[in-house]
Amino acid sequence: MWVTRALPALLLAGALAAPAAAAPPRIRELTIVIDGGQVLASFRLEDGFSPAILQRIESGLPTGFLYEIQLARDRKRWWDDGLDSTRLEVMAMFNAVTHEYLVNTKLAGKLIDSRTLRAASELERTMTSFSALPIFTFAPVRGRERYLVRVRVELGTGHALGFIPFLRTTEWVDSNKIRITVP
Amino acid sequence: MDLRAELLRRTRDTRWVVGFLGFLFVALIFLYYLVQRGRELPAALVTNRVLLFALRNLNAVLILVIFFVLGRNLFKLWVERRGRVLGSRFKTKLVGTYIGLSLVPVLVLFFYASELLQGAIDRWFSASLANVLEQGNAVAQALGSTIEDRNRRDAARLVEQLGSVELEDPESRARLRRRLETWQLETGAMFIAVFDGDEFVNAVVDPRSGLSDLPEIGRALPREAAEQGSAGRVLQPPGTRGRLILGAASLSPPGRRAKVVVVGTLLDPLTSTRSEQLIEAFQTYRQVEVQRGDFQASYFLMFVLVTLLILLASSWMGLFLARRLVAPLQALGEAFRQVSLGDLDQRIDVPADDEMAVVVDSFHRMTDELRANRAAIEASHRGLTQANLALAAERAQIAAILENLAAGVVALDSELRVVSANGAALQMLGLRGADLVGRTLAQAFDGDARAPLADFVAAAASAAETRTSSQLGFPVAGVWRSFEVRGTRLPGGPGDEERARGLVLVVEDLTELLRAQKLATWTEAARQVAHEIKNPLTPIRLAAERLSAKQRAGDPDVGELVERSVEIIVREVGNMQALVDEFSRFAKMPGPAFAATRFEPMVADVLDLYREIKEGVTVSGRVDPEVGEVWVDPEQIRRSLINLLDNAFEASSSPGRVEVVVTRAGERVEIVVADQGRGIPPADRDKLFLPFFSRKRRGSGMGLAIVQRIVADHDGKISVEDNSPRGTRIRVSLPARGAASP
Repeated sequence: MWVTRALPALLLAGALAAPAAAAPPRIRELTIVIDGGQVLASFRLEDGFSPAILQRIESGLPTGFLYEIQLARDRKRWWDDGLDSTRLEVMAMFNAVTHEYLVNTKLAGKLIDSRTLRAASELERTMTSFSALPIFTFAPVRGRERYLVRVRVELGTGHALGFIPFLRTTEWVDSNKIRITVP
Repeated sequence: MDLRAELLRRTRDTRWVVGFLGFLFVALIFLYYLVQRGRELPAALVTNRVLLFALRNLNAVLILVIFFVLGRNLFKLWVERRGRVLGSRFKTKLVGTYIGLSLVPVLVLFFYASELLQGAIDRWFSASLANVLEQGNAVAQALGSTIEDRNRRDAARLVEQLGSVELEDPESRARLRRRLETWQLETGAMFIAVFDGDEFVNAVVDPRSGLSDLPEIGRALPREAAEQGSAGRVLQPPGTRGRLILGAASLSPPGRRAKVVVVGTLLDPLTSTRSEQLIEAFQTYRQVEVQRGDFQASYFLMFVLVTLLILLASSWMGLFLARRLVAPLQALGEAFRQVSLGDLDQRIDVPADDEMAVVVDSFHRMTDELRANRAAIEASHRGLTQANLALAAERAQIAAILENLAAGVVALDSELRVVSANGAALQMLGLRGADLVGRTLAQAFDGDARAPLADFVAAAASAAETRTSSQLGFPVAGVWRSFEVRGTRLPGGPGDEERARGLVLVVEDLTELLRAQKLATWTEAARQVAHEIKNPLTPIRLAAERLSAKQRAGDPDVGELVERSVEIIVREVGNMQALVDEFSRFAKMPGPAFAATRFEPMVADVLDLYREIKEGVTVSGRVDPEVGEVWVDPEQIRRSLINLLDNAFEASSSPGRVEVVVTRAGERVEIVVADQGRGIPPADRDKLFLPFFSRKRRGSGMGLAIVQRIVADHDGKISVEDNSPRGTRIRVSLPARGAASP
């Protein structure tokens, strides 16, 4: 009976949702720099662009990643370290007729980039690598506090036991710490 | 929560459950509609993650609801069963049956439907279908690739020919236009464009191609071609129905910008549409395949949803029906419990019109009747209590009266055991209460001088008469005492009149009275004797004194006087002798010699003696036939009758009548001698039966005394009454003993 065969698989798929990979997706090389009044972040998602993701994209289904980014004070023992947060959404859609990948990038709900790509490698790079992305604008502050940026990726929704929804994400990753000095 | 609130809540439950079931019915219909429509919907919609999310969460909620509802109610059932609540077993069975009956078919249906679905999905993702779609896609892709490759080759060949053309030069550009047109004619290309780097230089369009205008290529394609040597694109030109397949090639002279030629072929609309359809069909198949798990999960969750809904409905319905059925039973049980505790005002407000209504109605009738009966019993109890109080008061009063009576009263039960004895009785008999109560007199007086009292009780209990009396004498505490004892048998109850309920003894101590009576009698007798003796003594003394006087005077007639005086003395002495003889006879009168006697001949014989004895005075007699034979001394009774008739004739005057009547009065025989004489004054009646009391000028005064003695010896009574219209009536009452009981 297929249900008896499929049910554990469904539950497992719901619980894990992602195919068995050698290493879990994670954020790497997260660095930030200050440029004028902006925080520029560079990072990449490693092992996130799996063959299943590519297969899903090439099937024509809109597929993407949602990066959560937080600007925080460097306070390890305080709860009020958060200063600002934003969301970076990268969504790809494949056109099988033209063999093009349309990749839209939104920051805080605003479209900041839209490009058409023809190569999967370029698609992966576009969706997982970001360089000097201006993510936060800050006002000049006084003090000697240090700041950092945290990033994680929402990989989609999973379901424990097949029906209990939960958010599949990577771990939070902290950037280098910077000090914002007022000239 | 009281019963009414509980029932109202259940009424609200009914409306709620009916509403819920209606909603469920509509939801199932809608779900069925969605499933049916789902056949026509694109797979992407069916496998939409939002739908999956909604289904999964709906299922989660339903599972939680079912677990909550079932868990709560099953826990309540368990608690009720532990607490042995009335109806809990029935409710458990009903719920179990309902859930079981619905669970089995629903699960069977669920697995069967799931199997069917899996078969359908397997057929859908069959290898042949996948192969067809993949081949179709490959053909469509190959068509585009072939055209693009040909265009690239053409573009490469053309860009080689542009090697010597200076594109910045205006004249060269003009010649380029003519060359492009020539190339178009040579190659048959529908569209040829030339770029200097990514800057558009010139282009030609075959007017027969269907392209209405120069298509907007943009800079990306020439830039890509410049960077990579060649590039391709597929465009959907505005205003056309076909696809424009572009192939670009570049030539990069050293130190100068790359020259790029783009060659385009417009695929005709039909081919374009068909190839797109092939590609899209394959894409759709791939999308479904990618989401195959979600697709299966969606249908699986839909089945689960339907199954859970049915399970929820059936289990809830089972619980609801169980509650609905058991609630009246619980109400009845509780009401019966309250009734058993005495609360007869219990009402069951069950809104039912079925058999339960009949049961409830019967219960109400029962409680009404119980209430009415209890009211009647309480009224009766109050009446009995009052009656008992009255009886107790009366008993106390009677006890007080008995205690203060001079006569002794002893009550005996049907077994002749002493039930009670008043103080006078105990004092008279020289006993204490403990010596007497609960024992028979035979036991109490066994071998005692007071045994005659026990004998009297035994005789009174077995006597024919209800009332018996006797004078008894026995020593009490060494002193002889005389008692008048009267026994009265208490009649039995209704239906048992023959059996006596007991006996009441009334004992009067006659010792002092008899002593006084004896003293008075003897005083009177002495006075009478003295008087009677004195009467003859006076003539004797006068005769003697006259003789003495004549003798002293020397009267010559002394001899005649002596003779008359002697005659007087002898006559008076004779009277005295007669008086003494009569007294002697009274004293020596023997006891009665009982014999069966018939009164008719006796009365006739005596009456014959007195017929025509006195002029103008008639005598008559009558004996009641019921009198029969009576156990008496016939001679003494005959003598008594003669004495009574003597007195009657003596008192009667002409015209007059003397009558003798003998009748039967129950257990006694009454002899009445009535005359129409002058009567007896009340003052003389007490002395009438004393010896030597006489109201006659001549008479000994012993007649009625003898009669009373005879009557007393027969255990009878004699009394004096006035006769009507005048005269005296003497009534003698004798016990009518049979021949065997003297």
